[in-house]
This record gives sequence, C-alpha cells and structure tokens, in this order.
Amino acid sequence: MIVAGCDVGSLTSKAVILNDKTMLSHAVVRSSFRPGDSARAVMDQALDVAGLKMDEVRYCVGTGYGREKIPFVNKVYSEIACHARGARHLMPSVRTVIDIGGQDCKAIRLDDSGAVVKFVTNDKCAAGTGRFLDVMARLLGVNLDELGSLSAQAQAPLSLASTCTVWAQAEVIHHLNENTPIADIAAAVNQAMAGRVAILARSVGIDREVCMTGGVAKNTGVLTYLEKLLDVKIRRLRIDPQIVGALGAAFYAWREYRRCAG
Amino acid sequence: MMEEMREAARALYHPLVRKWKEAGKTVIGYPCTFVPEEIIHAAGMLPYRMRGIGTTSLSIGDTYFGPVICSLPKCMLQLAGEHAYGFLDGVIITNGCDSMRRLNECWRKAGEDIPGILPGYFHYFGVPHKAASYSYEWYEEEIRELIKSLEEHFGVKVTEKALRKSIRLYNESRRLLQKLDDLRSGTEARMTGEDALTVILAGSAMPREEYTALLKTLLKDLKKALPIDKGRKRLMLVGSSNDDPEFVRLIEDSGALVVADSLCFGSRSYEDLTNEEGDPVASLSRRYLNQCRCPRMFGCYQDRLSLILDKAEKARVDGVILQNIRFCDLHGSENGIFERDLEARGIPCMRMEREYGPLVETGRIRMRIDAFLERIA
Amino acid sequence: MKRETREYRFDWMIWSILHHAAMSTGGTRKEYERLLDLVPHFRDVLDSFIRHGEPGRLFLKLIAEYAGMCITARERGKKVALTTFCMATPLLFAFDVVPIMLEAWTVLGTIVLRRGTAEYLDYCSEVGFTETSCSAQRGALGALLAGLAVRPGFIVCDSPGICDTNANSFSFTSAYLDIPFFQLDYPPSIMDERATGYQKKDFRELIVFLEAHTGTTLDENTLREVLDEVRLQDGLASELIDLMRLKPSPVPGLFDIMLYGGRFMMNGKKIYTELLRSMLRTAQANAAAGISGTTSKRERARGLFCYIDHYTTDARFWKWMDEQDISHLGSILFTFWHSDAPYARERPGEAYHIDSSSMEAMVDTLAAQMSRMPMIKQIRGPYDAPGMWLDDLLGAVRLLKPDFVAYIGSMGCRNSWGVNKLLARDLEREGVPAVILFADAFDDRVQSWESVIDKMDEFLQLRRIGI
Repeated sequence: MIVAGCDVGSLTSKAVILNDKTMLSHAVVRSSFRPGDSARAVMDQALDVAGLKMDEVRYCVGTGYGREKIPFVNKVYSEIACHARGARHLMPSVRTVIDIGGQDCKAIRLDDSGAVVKFVTNDKCAAGTGRFLDVMARLLGVNLDELGSLSAQAQAPLSLASTCTVWAQAEVIHHLNENTPIADIAAAVNQAMAGRVAILARSVGIDREVCMTGGVAKNTGVLTYLEKLLDVKIRRLRIDPQIVGALGAAFYAWREYRRCAG
Repeated sequence: MMEEMREAARALYHPLVRKWKEAGKTVIGYPCTFVPEEIIHAAGMLPYRMRGIGTTSLSIGDTYFGPVICSLPKCMLQLAGEHAYGFLDGVIITNGCDSMRRLNECWRKAGEDIPGILPGYFHYFGVPHKAASYSYEWYEEEIRELIKSLEEHFGVKVTEKALRKSIRLYNESRRLLQKLDDLRSGTEARMTGEDALTVILAGSAMPREEYTALLKTLLKDLKKALPIDKGRKRLMLVGSSNDDPEFVRLIEDSGALVVADSLCFGSRSYEDLTNEEGDPVASLSRRYLNQCRCPRMFGCYQDRLSLILDKAEKARVDGVILQNIRFCDLHGSENGIFERDLEARGIPCMRMEREYGPLVETGRIRMRIDAFLERIA
Repeated sequence: MKRETREYRFDWMIWSILHHAAMSTGGTRKEYERLLDLVPHFRDVLDSFIRHGEPGRLFLKLIAEYAGMCITARERGKKVALTTFCMATPLLFAFDVVPIMLEAWTVLGTIVLRRGTAEYLDYCSEVGFTETSCSAQRGALGALLAGLAVRPGFIVCDSPGICDTNANSFSFTSAYLDIPFFQLDYPPSIMDERATGYQKKDFRELIVFLEAHTGTTLDENTLREVLDEVRLQDGLASELIDLMRLKPSPVPGLFDIMLYGGRFMMNGKKIYTELLRSMLRTAQANAAAGISGTTSKRERARGLFCYIDHYTTDARFWKWMDEQDISHLGSILFTFWHSDAPYARERPGEAYHIDSSSMEAMVDTLAAQMSRMPMIKQIRGPYDAPGMWLDDLLGAVRLLKPDFVAYIGSMGCRNSWGVNKLLARDLEREGVPAVILFADAFDDRVQSWESVIDKMDEFLQLRRIGI
C-alpha cells in the first residue's frame, strides 16, 4: 500500500513515499511562493524516483507552513506532531526532538509511548533559526553547507557577544574587517546559534535520547556545540534530517489509511 | 442583535458612539480595568475603553515609545496620532502597568507635535498595587479627585443618587455577563469564544443602558440555541490583553471552543460586583482594588491560581492557552508558573508570546494551536 | 545551564574571588604584580580598583565583606532577606537582617565573571521567567532559582508603583519558591501630604512584617546608632558631590560606582563611612592640586548618565571613560536626596531630613529616606511632573554642568524606554547633547561592548564634544 507525506516549509518542501512502512523514496525542493506548486513539484520528484504515479498514492498527509494550501492531501497534521512521529520511528528511544527549520526552532518532549507531552517554539525573531545561519553564511561568503564544518578548522574560535541577528551581523563585519580567519568567525556563529537553541531546549526539559531534525541538524558545528551546552549526546539520524517531518507525515498517512480501510 | 454587538466591537467610532456624540454628549476614554467606569457614567458621560485596533503602521507609536515596549499602548498612540480618537472628549490614563502609564507622557508630547490629538481633559489616575486598608483609602481619594476634576472641567455634577444608580446598572449588566459565561462554559456550550469576546468588547464601548437591554435579549435567544461544543476541545484563554475576536476564531477554527477566559478584555471586567449599600465611593474602591485578577497586583499568585483552577474545573476545560503580549513580564512570567502548577494538576497548557496588532503570523499561531490540540486529543 | 556551572555555588564563587582580591593588596607592589599573573581571569577588575589606591582597596574590602556577610548569614543564625538595590539598608541593619540584593549580586557577577551572568540570565528563561524581564535582577535570580545561592527567608521589595519588571521579579520568586513576600507600594507623587501619609502607613506595615519574620522588635538605640552613621555618610557624600562641580572635576570616575554601590550594600555601616572619607581625601587632594580625577589628570569632557551605568566585564565602562579623559558626573543612582545634598539644597521639600529624637521620628525618617532612593523618587510619576525624572535631571545638569548626557539602561526597562526619547529631546532643548545607547547594562549579548563604545565615539565626534 502506497502512502505519502508532504512537508511544505518556508524555505524547502519535502516529500516521502512509503510502501507500508518501508520508505521508497524522498525528495527535497526549494519552496516557491505558492505552497501548492511547491507541494506538487516535490511530490512529482519523489514519485518519479519511486517510479509511481499520483493516483497510486492511497493516502497523503500534509504538514509544514503551507500545509493548508496543498491541494492533494487527505489530512493535515502540525509539524510538531510529524517531526515527533518521524523521529520516533527512526529512533524509538527518543524523548527530546530539537527541530530547527528555516523560520523557527522547536523543542519537543515525548513520553515513553511517543506522545508529545510538551513543546516550545521560538518564532520571535531570526535568532535561533536557520535564517540566522543563512544570513551569516552569506556575510562570510561561504556556502551554507560549509558553515558547519568550518567550526572544526577554527584555530582561535571567537565568541559573538550578540545573539540578535542584526547586532551579530555588525559584529561579524567588524571581525571581517579585522581580517579574522573565516573559520574562527564561523565557529562563533555556530556557537551563538547553539546557545540560542539550548535555552529553548532546556525550557522544554531534556530527556534522553535526544535527536535533531530539520536542515540545521546537518551543521556539525552547531550540533557539537549544542551537545556541549546541553551536556548530552545528540544522536545522529540515519536519514537526511530535513525529511523527518515528511516521514512522520507519511506514517500518519499509513495509520489514517489503515483506520479508514479497516 | 449580535450584528449590533459586532459593529460596536469592530470599529472605534461605531454608530452608537456617533449617535451619542451627535446628541452633544461626552465620551471619556480609559485604557485599563482598574478605572471605575461607574464614575464616568454617573457624570452622564460614556465610558469608553480604548483599544489599538486597525493600525497599519507604528510610525507615530515608535516615535515616542522605545523599542522594548508593549505594542498595545503603542497602537493606541498611533491611533491617537492619526486622529482616530478625535471623538474622545477626555482620557484617563492609569498606571495599570508601566508600558501603559507611559502613554500619558507619550500622548502629551505627541500632542505638542501633532495639533489636535490631545483631548482637552487628560487625567492621571494612580492605582495602588496592593489591597491594604490605606490603599483603599488612597483609591477612594483618587475617585473623589476624579469626580472633582470631571465636574470642574465639564461643568457637571456627580450626585450620590446618580452614582448609586450607575453602580446598580453596572452590577446588573455584570450579572448578565456572568450568566452568559454560564451558557458559554456549561455542559452544553451555546456560544463561541469569538462571539463571547465580541459581546464583551461591545459592552466596553457602548451606552450601558442599551447594552444591558441587548444582553437580556441575547441571553433569552441563547437559552433556546443549540449546543455547539460537540466534538470540540474545550479551552481556556489566560493572560494579557486580547481584544481581537479573530485571534479567538483562529483557535476555534482548529476545532476547539474557548469556553472560559481570564483576560483583561474579558471576564476580568465583570466577575466582581460592587456593594450597593454603604458609601458608594468606598464600595467602588473595594470593587476595583480587591480584584487580584491582574498580576499588576503583586504577591497574589495563589489567589489567581485558585481562580483559574476553579474556572477550569467548572468549565471542564481540556487545556489552557497561556498567552501574553511581548514585553509583558507580568503576565509572561506568571504564565511560566501557571504552566508548572496547572500541568502538575494534569491540565495541559501551552504558552504563547505574541504581538498586539493586526493578526499577521496566522500560519505559525495555527501550527502551534494544531499541535496543542493534537497533544490533548 | 552547563553542568560545570551547576557545580559551583554562584555566591561563594564570587565571594571567593572578591575576598582574595581584597587580600592581595596587603603586600608590596612587586608582590602584587606577581600575583596579578596568577589570577588571569580577574586581574583586570582587580587592577581597576587597586589602581585607585586606598579608596579602591577599601571598596574591594567593602564588597568582599558584603558578599561574605550574605553567604555566611544562615550559618551565623541571621535572617536573610531577598531585596532590591533601591531598598535602603538602614532599617534592615537595625533588624540585624542580611539584605541579599539581586542587582548588587548581578553586578558583582557581570563585573567579575569572564562570561558575565549569561548562563544565569538564561536559566531564568528556562524555568519560565520572561527573557524580556530586566537583566539587573535576572542575573543573580538565575543562580537563586537554580539553588546556587543562599535561599532567603523572606522577600521585601519597594519597587511596586515604581518599576513593574523589578517588582514582578520578586513577586515571581515568591510564587516560584514559595517564600513570604512584602511589598512597599508607592503612589505616583512624592511631595504631597497624601503620598507622605500613604508611605508612612505602608512603611509601618513593613516593620510589622519584619517583626513577624525576625521574631524581634526594632531597638531604639540600635536604630539611632545606624541613623547617626547615615547622617555622617550623607554629609561626606554631599562634600564629594560638591567637589564634582569643580572644573576639572577632581573626583575619579570610578568613585561613581563606589559611592552608590557602597551605599546600596552598606548604608549605615562603618566601613562605608571609611570608604567615603578615603574618597573625599583623594578628591580634596586633587582639587587642591587643581587636577582632574582622571588618570591623565586632564578633563576633556564631562559626562552625566541619566539612568544607570554599564556594568559588564572588569568595570571597563569606567576605564573607558577614564582613558577618554571624561569625568563621570554620576547617574540617577547617585542621588539619595538627603537634605544637605547639593542637588537638594534648593529643593528642600523633596529631600529627607534625619530626625533621631524619638522612635516615631526615626521611623518617619526611614520611610522618607526609603521613598527617595534612586529610581523610587523620580520614576514613580509622569517624567515631567514636579520632582520627577526631568526635574532631577535638569537640576543635575545645572549643578554639574556636563557636556553631554547619555542614557544606558536594560532591555527590561519599560519605564525608561517609555520616556527616554522624550527626555533626550528635552535635554537637547536645554542645549545639552543627549544620546540614547541601545545597550543592556548587564548583558553584553544585547549589544556588544565594542558597538557601545563605537556609538559613544561617534556621538562625541559628531557633536564635537571635548574636541
């Protein structure tokens, strides 16, 4: 039985196709201004990889910022539920999920049965979101993907005094003008990001195991600092951390379809 | 009749205020539940609770206030600066909280730059933060000074007889609102939270006599109405000012029903009644200062917790949304302890910090409400 | 909060640094310089005080004593009150209560610790307290909430009616930790009889609360002794402020924090009198030599701070002022409104007068003193009402003749951010250049120190101050 999950975020859209509980394919595309178009594009790509067609999908669950605007879904779930569900599948012992997306950051605590018991989101400003890293990478003239690994190359890592994106930019420019090595500044950027996320994670309460989802989980610099700050090992997931929400959505689709059918 | 209520809740200068003004009568604005409306009413004027709705920019608000100030008084100043409050003959500012009390200076100074935005009557009303015997006396004196200044400025007389009549009228309408609460939070809820807020808002901006009559009709109709709570999660909304029915609708559209609240524009304005016997000024002082529902009254956390617990039990709520406007430390941090203490008693909570003003971030708010409802499903 | 941070008690750690710093001054210059190499983390802060000679050493001794008094209070069987900087200490000392002031401990932390109080600040948010609340309390409060500081027996604060966010942090702590709470609540005016009457009644309630929680009553002789010491201290402070009026000002900039910091912690104790006398001697000697109190002995410009100072890392704010040859003419934290204070001479109605003739008179004196503490006096009503912030500031401007006025505050300060633009405008109209700095005096992460001085430099350049 083919089901799908589609996660339309502010920066990227993700889709996962399952056959029963086995993942057949996934796809990630950059979101356009029209959530419906992004959803269609990412689904087409995922279906293409799996060699399937839209009408073979029995049930589809939508999630993400643009979930209400996806034309082909049967039901929608919040990103919180989907990230929790996806992480739980990949790592049954997970109790805390930290998800950092392009526009917000979430910390989710699960109980033994996998139910969400508490969550907090930071959506006040860009600090502590993927956007912060995006802005900083651009300022440093490095690729967003490189920013994380640059931390490891730092000789004398700096620390940024400001956590506010606007003020931190001024500081980064100041360091650039002083010819500080890029890696040392990058380390500071990753550390500032981790500091902001740690506050959020602690306010939800850290239970082990901890895992991280969302695009920023690929940034090893942030991940390492966060482990240090929270004094806990953050487990790496087996798949692209960006698609965990879509994976969760696909599992909800599977459950919903079984419920309807059965 | 709901349409009349909606009209009064939707716009600042709505038809009923217009009618009042066209009859040559006076309107007095005030920003906080700690100002005794009865006094203004007994002076033959319309007490009008100011709001910050419909702003499209904060260009004026941000000129005078600094960046780390609550957006509610900023929006009020913006509206004043745009002459939207031109219909107010007078304004009473109170130290409800620090952001609000600085509206006094910011409005006056903006008035020096933009002619015609400062009402001729502009009064500061100081409210204590505790309810001790001498605080009641202070508040009584504050009322007497308010009466004196209204009388002098507008050439009116606030008689004891008129004051007693106003107290009775306000008590009557507050009792009706309490009955409305019963219909809203009872086993079979008959009204949405969105409509309930609309009704309360209308009351804060229309002549009380007409409002009371409308309430009576509304209650009669509601008793016959069909229950609407089937399959919906019952929520309580707690925290700082919300005068936006659309925010409540956003919550209810996700499949919930806001069956109770403890909000500034909300049940806080009618849950306490005034003693109709004895000296009316002393009774009003007790009515207004003895309400510990706002965290501006320091050191009364346990009382507020009990009130919320009672209400949660009575309204059989499935969860509580603890919201506050950014920079409101009073509600924001108390929400932190509420969360701890309510969750410990098995009542799921969600905290939310937001900006006052046009609802723009609906996507994110919706996502969190959905996640909360999924959590308590 | 990191695990290693949780392993050290905040207050003991600070006390230990201060205590050893204060002891380091006993030896020779050479010994002292060797010692500096051994304490890389606090050599700068230590040196900023030691460089000021005897007054600096006495100040170090005073704060080490204050810190020691706080951390050992319970062991010594003393009652401990959690309180705020603007709560005058004489009444508490007369009750033999040890006052733990959140802001004093926050400042000790931000000055002494390498990363300031960042982790403690953030810990407050982690347990549910708002991150927008004032960092002056949050710094030390985080340590208290995490169980890393002495747990107080009761809470007394006098900020209701003055500052919501301050009062709220005490009210929050009371609810969060379940500790008895008393508030002195202030009306929006100060000079009228109604306000005075209200304050007197409220103050007597405070005494009732203290009696109940200490199990003692106020002793007339002890109280008189404390008040006599206060009278002495008021006189010395007045002389010091008078000297500040000279051009150049013979008073070193760091004396600013020593004057009010010492008073917040130890008003009514002999060690503060000793400090004042020592500061006065230095300033008088400078005045006799006709030199400025700056290290270079020159005065390029005179600066007044309309709210508070900047407290992070090694007291570098005062160091920067000194290097710039700018005399620090104080901030509103400077004013206590004793009747002989230079700023109060022409406004006797706003000042307090010490009357120790009877118990009643002494209690009234203390009530009046408390109600005139920095912030308590001028932040209560509309900023331009009689005796409020604008009056006080213009008074100080006329008295001390600064070349500029700067605002530094905290992001939690609704009250000052509600009117500081209006204040700056009024000052400019008086012909005084005024600048508002978007810094947080207790948290570098809001705006880095480098940006703060960049802004100051830019302002001084643009307005051609001291050029």
